[in-house]
Amino acid sequence: MEEEVRIGVFVCRCGVNIGGVVDCEEVAKYAETLPGVVCTSVNTYTCSDSGQEDIKEHIKKHNLNRVVVAACTPRTHEPTFRACCEEAGVNKYLFEFVNIRDQCSWTHMHEPEKATEKAKDLVRMGVARSWILEPLSDSEVPVRREALVIGGGVAGMQAAMDIGDMGFKVYLVEKEPSIGGRMARFDKVFPTNDCSICILGPKMVEVARNKNVEIMSYSEVESVEGYVGNFKVKVRHKPRYIDEDRCTGCGECASVCPVEVPYDFDEGFGTRGAVYIPFPQAVPLKAVIDMDNCLRSEGKKCKACEKACGRGAIDFTQEERFTELNVGVIIVATGFATYDPEPRHDYGYGIYDNVITTMEFERLLNAAGPTEGHVIRPSDCREPMRLGFINCVGSRDLNTNEHCSGGICCMFNIKNAILLKEKRPEISCYIFYMDIRTPFRGYEEFYNRAREIGIRFIRGRPAEVREKPNGNIVVRVEDTLKGVVREIEVDLLVLGTGVVPNPDTERISKMLKIPRAADGLLMEAHPKLGPVDTVIDGVFIAGCISGPKDIPFAVSQGSGAASRASRLLSTGRAVVEGITAVSDERCIGCSLCVDVCPYGALFLDEKRVKVIEALCKGCGTCAATCPTGALDQRHFKCTQICAQVKNLFAIA
Amino acid sequence: MGTLLDEIIEYGGEVFGKEHMETVRECVQCGKCTGSCPSGRITAYRTRKMIQMARMNLREVLSMYELWFCTTCFTCYERCPRGVKVTDIIRTMRNIAVSEGHMSFSHKKVATYVFKTGHAVPIGEPQMKLREGVGLDPMAPTTQKFPEQLEQVREIVRTTGFDKKVGFDWETMKLREELEEGK
Repeated sequence: MEEEVRIGVFVCRCGVNIGGVVDCEEVAKYAETLPGVVCTSVNTYTCSDSGQEDIKEHIKKHNLNRVVVAACTPRTHEPTFRACCEEAGVNKYLFEFVNIRDQCSWTHMHEPEKATEKAKDLVRMGVARSWILEPLSDSEVPVRREALVIGGGVAGMQAAMDIGDMGFKVYLVEKEPSIGGRMARFDKVFPTNDCSICILGPKMVEVARNKNVEIMSYSEVESVEGYVGNFKVKVRHKPRYIDEDRCTGCGECASVCPVEVPYDFDEGFGTRGAVYIPFPQAVPLKAVIDMDNCLRSEGKKCKACEKACGRGAIDFTQEERFTELNVGVIIVATGFATYDPEPRHDYGYGIYDNVITTMEFERLLNAAGPTEGHVIRPSDCREPMRLGFINCVGSRDLNTNEHCSGGICCMFNIKNAILLKEKRPEISCYIFYMDIRTPFRGYEEFYNRAREIGIRFIRGRPAEVREKPNGNIVVRVEDTLKGVVREIEVDLLVLGTGVVPNPDTERISKMLKIPRAADGLLMEAHPKLGPVDTVIDGVFIAGCISGPKDIPFAVSQGSGAASRASRLLSTGRAVVEGITAVSDERCIGCSLCVDVCPYGALFLDEKRVKVIEALCKGCGTCAATCPTGALDQRHFKCTQICAQVKNLFAIA
Repeated sequence: MGTLLDEIIEYGGEVFGKEHMETVRECVQCGKCTGSCPSGRITAYRTRKMIQMARMNLREVLSMYELWFCTTCFTCYERCPRGVKVTDIIRTMRNIAVSEGHMSFSHKKVATYVFKTGHAVPIGEPQMKLREGVGLDPMAPTTQKFPEQLEQVREIVRTTGFDKKVGFDWETMKLREELEEGK
């Protein structure tokens, strides 16, 4: 060995977090006896400024070239200590972290002696590993100063606008014919009951007006390749059969179309023609022909719209187009779906006419909706006098989704009940709830307002409902606060359906290689400290794609993701960690590793596997798969791990 | 054993497994069970309340008459949004109640049939006719047909001390309760 190994071991008490269980002095004393260790130190908080100064002083005084810290978790503190070593002239990859908190003091808090013994074992293993650690260097890749935002809901719009305002080019891809997302469908929004489209509409126009934002509506991201700074994105533009330059959005075509199909924007309550304007405030305000339902798809020669259009904008010859983009960063804001109670027939949904979902109710309330804002019930179009709202349908239930919809579904139902009750004070509204969750500013006041105006809250999860011959619905529920089982007859029952992943989430997760959480939505890099980051460098998330969120939260996440992304855009470069896979001449080109790599970081180049370092996350799956041992994982080399394992069984 | 809750988990755990019984801790008191309960429609039985009393270690639940109103139809068990194994928990509570001497008169009465015939629901005239009607031996090949086998059932009853719990008098073949009240 060309250089003498000089290791310093620093044991952290973390106040009493570690020190209250593990005898840190004893661990340090033990560490002194290990080969290569030249000095040890015990600190109350090694991560504090004084703790870090202590490390630096020891490095200088003892001429250390390896540092082992026995403390908490590398997940939160490794960057701190690496930077500390770097500042004192020790390569940051020659730093080794031993976790004696999660693995000793926390897990064995009732057995301090054994916890101390285990801490010694772990330190011994760490020291053995640090002996053969190799210095590595991070690399840098250039970042293309263009961004892609997937999803044109309120979060995606905010993200696109912020990046655009910072002076970078943004492509905003939206699969629907108009941007606006879910918020465009709402009537009023809590807790202030502003008209949703009245506040969203101007924002949509602003996005369209932003010079740097290019909206790609009625388009979907087909594939993404590449890595941070250099993503190659293929976008599929679905044919609108409309010449967008000529269409003025006048709607003449829509008014003559002989076809009538349920309109999903109205949750299937309203209808539209095969050619339609998405909604009056749509951006872009352009017609679109739904060819699946157009008579021409059946071979008929209908030309009604073509004749009606004064500008000759109808173009039946349009075909699917593809655009290739090359962007530096990607923001995913593809939103959510609401739970569909149809397959399970929750509370008779899909069987009884007068059981509807919140989103359907929202469209009934909306002045631009199918009933022009008159709430009527489906069975006989009468205005209901008694309404029931059930919270947590499809959420907080092991049989469907265990998670809570984050209070949005509570607020949603309260809002809808308030809107109707304020409009028609003579009606009775019942809200059936398990717990009311009104966590943010103005929300609790909103709940109080609902109670003040006479909306009745019944604490109990309804057990079952039945339909009466006149179409009324009888809800059977235990009023748990009274301990009385009640049967409440209502004219219309509204199910507060929870937030679930939309059907695209799985495809997006696979395409971008972002893992999904237990609720099926995408996982953030860290639930507290990296809420808009993902494990993939250069890919960020915003809005309901990472869990249920209300509008202000989604908007802040849009801005947050834009700001995180702009760090890369404004510097024009991204740092790639030195911990990557590496292959040598033993590679036989079997490409088993290429198949297992979850990040697509490996490729076969003339019978030899090569690693795209910017894509490699250093997970080591390839190294474990390689049958010839040609692949190794820097910083977690087989020899380094073996040294650790061997020392586990060494005599203490 | 510690609290009532521990006892329920321990006791029921022997039969259903501890994990099964631990679900009692998952209850959020939503009342789906009570609303679903066919017995609760006509009785004072409130499933949710029983579970809550178990969770709060209120031993008086064991002597409550309502505890015996569950028909074990398992509707609550199927519907519970938290996966609480409601019916099995109620059944375990009944077992504990019995072991502490709380048992309804009608259940004791049913037990006497087991002691007398080996059956909780013995075969009587109507069943015999039914059997004959479909070409079967009027008596099924059970303890009722072979009284010498009945002794084995009684042996089990005596060994487990079930007869004492119920308060059965072997001489008169009646419940002590009945004798005292001259029923």
